[in-house]
Amino acid sequence: MFDISHETLVAFSKSWGLFYLMGFFLCVVVYAFWPSNRKRFDRAKTSILERDDKPWQ
Amino acid sequence: MNATDRMIGRLTSGERQAALILCGLTALSGAALGLAGRNDVVGWHGLLMLLFAGGFGFLLMTRLDMAEPTEDRGASYYDDPIKAGIVLAMAWAVFGMFMGVWVAAQLAWPDLHFDNGWSTFGRLRPTHTTGVIFGFGGNALIATSFHVVQRTSRARLAGQVSPWFVLLGYNLFCLLAVTGYLLGITQSKEYAEAEWYADLWLVVVWVTYFVLYLRTIARRREPHIYVANWYFMAFIVVVAILHIVNNLALPISWGHAKSYTIWPGVQDAMVQWWYGHNAVAFFLTAGFLGMLYYYLPVRAQRPIFSYRLSILSFWGITFFYMWAGSHHLHYTALPHWVQTLGMTFSVMLLVPSWASAGNALLTLNGAWHRVRDDATLRFMMAAAVFYGLSTFEGSFLAIRPVNALSHYTDWTVGHVHAGALGWVALITFGSLYTLVPTLWKRERMYSAALVEVHFWLSIAGTLIYVFAMWNSGIIQGLMWRTYTEDGALAYSFVDSLVAMYPYYIARAFGGLLFLIGAVVGCYNMWMTVRAVPQATSRTGDQPVAAAVPGE
Amino acid sequence: MPEFFHRKLERSAIGFVLAIIAAASVGGIVEIAPLFTIDETVEEAPDMRVYTPLELSGRNIYVREGCYACHSQMIRTLRDEVERYGPYSLAVESQYDRPMLWGSKRTGPDLARVGGKYSDFWHVAHLINPRDVVPESNMPAYAFLARNRLRTDDLSGHLRAQRALGVPYTDEMIENAGRDAYGQAAPDSAAAPGVTERYGPATTVSAFDGVATQLTEMDALVAYLQVLGRLTDAAYRDTAAPEEAPDPAE
Repeated sequence: MFDISHETLVAFSKSWGLFYLMGFFLCVVVYAFWPSNRKRFDRAKTSILERDDKPWQ
Repeated sequence: MNATDRMIGRLTSGERQAALILCGLTALSGAALGLAGRNDVVGWHGLLMLLFAGGFGFLLMTRLDMAEPTEDRGASYYDDPIKAGIVLAMAWAVFGMFMGVWVAAQLAWPDLHFDNGWSTFGRLRPTHTTGVIFGFGGNALIATSFHVVQRTSRARLAGQVSPWFVLLGYNLFCLLAVTGYLLGITQSKEYAEAEWYADLWLVVVWVTYFVLYLRTIARRREPHIYVANWYFMAFIVVVAILHIVNNLALPISWGHAKSYTIWPGVQDAMVQWWYGHNAVAFFLTAGFLGMLYYYLPVRAQRPIFSYRLSILSFWGITFFYMWAGSHHLHYTALPHWVQTLGMTFSVMLLVPSWASAGNALLTLNGAWHRVRDDATLRFMMAAAVFYGLSTFEGSFLAIRPVNALSHYTDWTVGHVHAGALGWVALITFGSLYTLVPTLWKRERMYSAALVEVHFWLSIAGTLIYVFAMWNSGIIQGLMWRTYTEDGALAYSFVDSLVAMYPYYIARAFGGLLFLIGAVVGCYNMWMTVRAVPQATSRTGDQPVAAAVPGE
Repeated sequence: MPEFFHRKLERSAIGFVLAIIAAASVGGIVEIAPLFTIDETVEEAPDMRVYTPLELSGRNIYVREGCYACHSQMIRTLRDEVERYGPYSLAVESQYDRPMLWGSKRTGPDLARVGGKYSDFWHVAHLINPRDVVPESNMPAYAFLARNRLRTDDLSGHLRAQRALGVPYTDEMIENAGRDAYGQAAPDSAAAPGVTERYGPATTVSAFDGVATQLTEMDALVAYLQVLGRLTDAAYRDTAAPEEAPDPAE
């Protein structure tokens, strides 16, 4: 690892770091807006407000 | 039967023995450290570990023959460690904030120390930062994460002994750290001052915490992991990475407190601020956002405004923060491109941060009358507002030309406290006021009026503090760079220091108000447990405010 | 597809943790990895010497007392800082610093180049009670340092640990660490010549706290303060001009 030159590492960081970021966000956005996930999210939103205070067996 | 009896009585005899063995192992490590370090200050820390573990071992030993628990433990949540965690968090809050007021006063009245080492500013200051960040914040995070993960997973914690190990082991770390600074044991790495053996101990505790959390989530009955748990998990995972990388060090010997970090000079600077900034991100932000996303909706009895937005901002924060650390090193010997990178990502961070703050405030939209009448909910609303303000300020200060002025001045201190007092402490107090009556199954807090008093003391203290530091920081920064007409520096350093004194006094006063608020909170919680009647029906996690007129 | 993946990730919390690590660690790696090769870009400083045992002890006292909380050791590349404190700091100047003490706050002034600016006597008086010398100061008094004898029995261990991490201490330096610490603060003693022999003629040998017979923590700290910024001349040679302080209002 240490014989890679500084320039190469910097160039790699500057380019692929950015691609990685964009790719990552694409995945997150797709997940968040995927239509079939809506139901799960709505359930999660309201489930914490349910009043029973025991573990489900 | 006292509380200790009840708590230990809930363990089976096998679990008591396991706990005793853990205490024995810890005591043994302490003894080994003490013996190896008998010629060094680290010997005292060996003794401290021995006494700490020995004390808990004694409590267990005298109760080994208690009756086996009869209740069906799977039918209830495990709340004992959470209760202990709340007590510890409040105790650390009072200690840490008191130290804060003391060091603040030392800056205004420098003779407020004794003629010895332990009471000087340099040694007391980390007891304040560690006391409030790790003692108060950390215990509050452990306690609330144990609560939230059980409720949102509909499952009991995956262990009887391990939650105690995590909580008490973590407090042993805090004790080692804080007493170490007073003894002169420190790495002088900001917010990571504790020495190598305390750091190693924290790794053991933290891995246990991580495994416990994962195993509890794996037990869950809800198909989806609620978003608050994401934040808590990111907090646990990333803090582990940060802690290990930043604290890699070579001790002089096994019996010596001193170690040298493996990172030299500029690398150490980068690693240190990568750690330092992400400690803010994942310790002081992610974990507390976990609190926000659970206790705010529960208290307001309204679902979070947008669940999707909470997911987007979660990944945004997790991703962006890691790049931003280098904005602490603008105009230094760090390569220019790393500074620019840090600045860019710091500005981008504003998007997920404001998404979270906005999400919280929009959740309250339509329930403003509750915010008006319920100081607990108002704590959380104010926290969201301060979160929004201080993240904006953070992005602003990360811009290079602004940083040229603000860096090294009190402006940074003001910014940190806008976040630490306004965001972290307020969301914690709001969460604890929600949690205490629920956990102890009380109808309500002892006094709603005292919650009000605490709220206004906190707000007043924070505002006085932050405004004083803004003023002093900007004045200081401007004085340092002011030139006379013939091109000479206009002010000596001492001139700028003299200009600070009024603000240092104001700051100490603001901090004192905040401390008094925390003491009032302790009293109120204590009286809630002591004097408020048991709730007659099992009310679950609903808020306990008195009925709201007009509803 | 991504939705499917995420659901799977979420079901097994381990996968979720991996995703968090992937999201969080890449920024750190991208930012920090190039710094491992930074020695290719750091300035040359062939004249740079290592800290003597006494200076290293002083540095460790500076660390122990948490001086970094109020004093930076990093002069930024801004004109007013260069005029106030001296040439801006170079990365190479802290190449032997573990930990680095760049600091983040100036309640007191920057100390990166304080070495040689004041006399030993001034430093001792100032540390014993800062307000005797600077009436407006809010620095704590460190009189106890003059009462504490300096610990020297473990100094060889300190140097050995530093060498294991890459600081070029020789066997001879390690062996004589305790003796050199004493010699540097006792100019007329038999141990004194060895110090300049091993660490170079530019090393200051002086009874730093004014008392040559006893080695105190005051000796060590003053020796350290007096060497700050003087381990190399690199910062005084061919560096670019400092920047004008940017005006945010522009």
